Amino acid sequence: MSEPGRTAIDVHDVQLRLGHRQVLQGLHLKVAEGGRLGILGPAAGGKSVLLKLLVGLLQPDAGRVEIRGTDLSSGDEKVLMRVRRDIGMLFQNYALFDFMTVGENVAFPLARRGDVEADEIRDRVEARLRSVGLAGSAHKMPSELSGGMKKRVGIARATIARPALVLYDEPTAGLDPVTTQKMYDLLSADQEETGCTVLAVSSDVKALMGFASELALIHEGRIRYAGSSSEIADSSDALVRQFVSGSEDGPL
Amino acid sequence: MNLHRKIEALGGAFIGALKSVRELARLWRGSLAGLVERDYPKGEIARQMYVVGNKSVLFISVTMGFLGMVMVMQSGQQLNRITGDLSQLGPEFLRLFIQEFAPTITALMLATRVGAGIAAEIGTMKVTEQIDALRLSGITPTSYLIAPRFFACVVMSLVLTIFAVVFSFSAGGLTAWSVFGLNPTLFFDASRVQVYDLTLGGCKALTYGMAIPVISGYCGLEARGGSEGVGTATTSAVIGSSFAVLLIDFLLSGIGFAFFGGGAR
Repeated sequence: MSEPGRTAIDVHDVQLRLGHRQVLQGLHLKVAEGGRLGILGPAAGGKSVLLKLLVGLLQPDAGRVEIRGTDLSSGDEKVLMRVRRDIGMLFQNYALFDFMTVGENVAFPLARRGDVEADEIRDRVEARLRSVGLAGSAHKMPSELSGGMKKRVGIARATIARPALVLYDEPTAGLDPVTTQKMYDLLSADQEETGCTVLAVSSDVKALMGFASELALIHEGRIRYAGSSSEIADSSDALVRQFVSGSEDGPL
Repeated sequence: MNLHRKIEALGGAFIGALKSVRELARLWRGSLAGLVERDYPKGEIARQMYVVGNKSVLFISVTMGFLGMVMVMQSGQQLNRITGDLSQLGPEFLRLFIQEFAPTITALMLATRVGAGIAAEIGTMKVTEQIDALRLSGITPTSYLIAPRFFACVVMSLVLTIFAVVFSFSAGGLTAWSVFGLNPTLFFDASRVQVYDLTLGGCKALTYGMAIPVISGYCGLEARGGSEGVGTATTSAVIGSSFAVLLIDFLLSGIGFAFFGGGAR
């Protein structure tokens, strides 16, 4: 569970090169326990890569990534596994296991823990599916679902074990405005209930501004803005203002 | 400048090859460790044995049956022309198939059918981030995905090789009788088969069975991008596994010849 006042995410001077491209260039980021941070930025700016660094799926070339006080930079699998037990993640492409039913997908993080009874797992899966509007879909295969439904299953899977840190990669990409709002309401309600730390990556500026109290904008591997979501539109950086306003004129 | 770039590219390719070999060794060790840890879904080994074995048995039996017929027809014609004595056709055919053709051709067919399947399945999971989701759940993909396929391929490669020997020998015997009028009791003579033949054939089948899933799994895990990346991984798996089968065949046959005289008597 989260401990208010403690730092949940501490990214310090992280550099990462993938192939011939410098994806992250001296990135700094801090999120307090129970905080809600939205990450914005143009496509291919390093947002999804940052999420993979936070769960140890990628290792930085330089710098440090700490999750709830544990340094992930060593790449030690035992350390990573321990840290990952407290992290839930919605992947950009949902990453639902296509050889499992929806119910099995959602149950997976709980079943892997090994300390939750089968009856409790079944009840929690049903409740979670109901909360994301997919009651009665447990027996379906992921291939039978639409993109939006898959996204909701992904959210259910990411949050069912009530992790201390939840990472959402484009939680509303491809969804209509009404469903987008419903989705963010769901994420908010979840966070209020569990007190977890949430980091959401999105290109949907308006929706993310409504969801997260703090925003960070990443462009070409660097943080160009970090601060309150209510002040981002008045940033002194012309690039940030252009991205938020959606204007065609500007450095982007 | 041009020479400099060529040397750089050559060096890069060499380092890449060394990294691949190291990664293959790591996957092989990981597969063995995964079988001990048993961190794969319940019933997965049985499912994989069905996929590798049951679904390949018709394909391999028919192919090996035809190969047996063609081999007997060709070698019978040559023996007729040179010596006119077909009495050793069956016994020598059996030895050759046990130690060479049955395991190797079976493995080449498994490399195309099963190897491509493993690479496509794991490659699709890689590009759709399912592998990342597994790792996030504290699962090692090698233990969860490759270990059961590894076990199934090792066991089924041996079983299918036995099927291959039976079908090719039977079809060959039928051909020898119908084309050359050879008495079946002369053809179906297993007295010349030695322990060496069985050992070499068995070792080959087991080694091929280890190589195919590891190489195909590696290609799948290395898949990048989208469907094109999966296609490339599948092609690499078939080429890599086939090449490995031929290389292992050469090495084991060479070892057999060097240390045991090829089992000649």
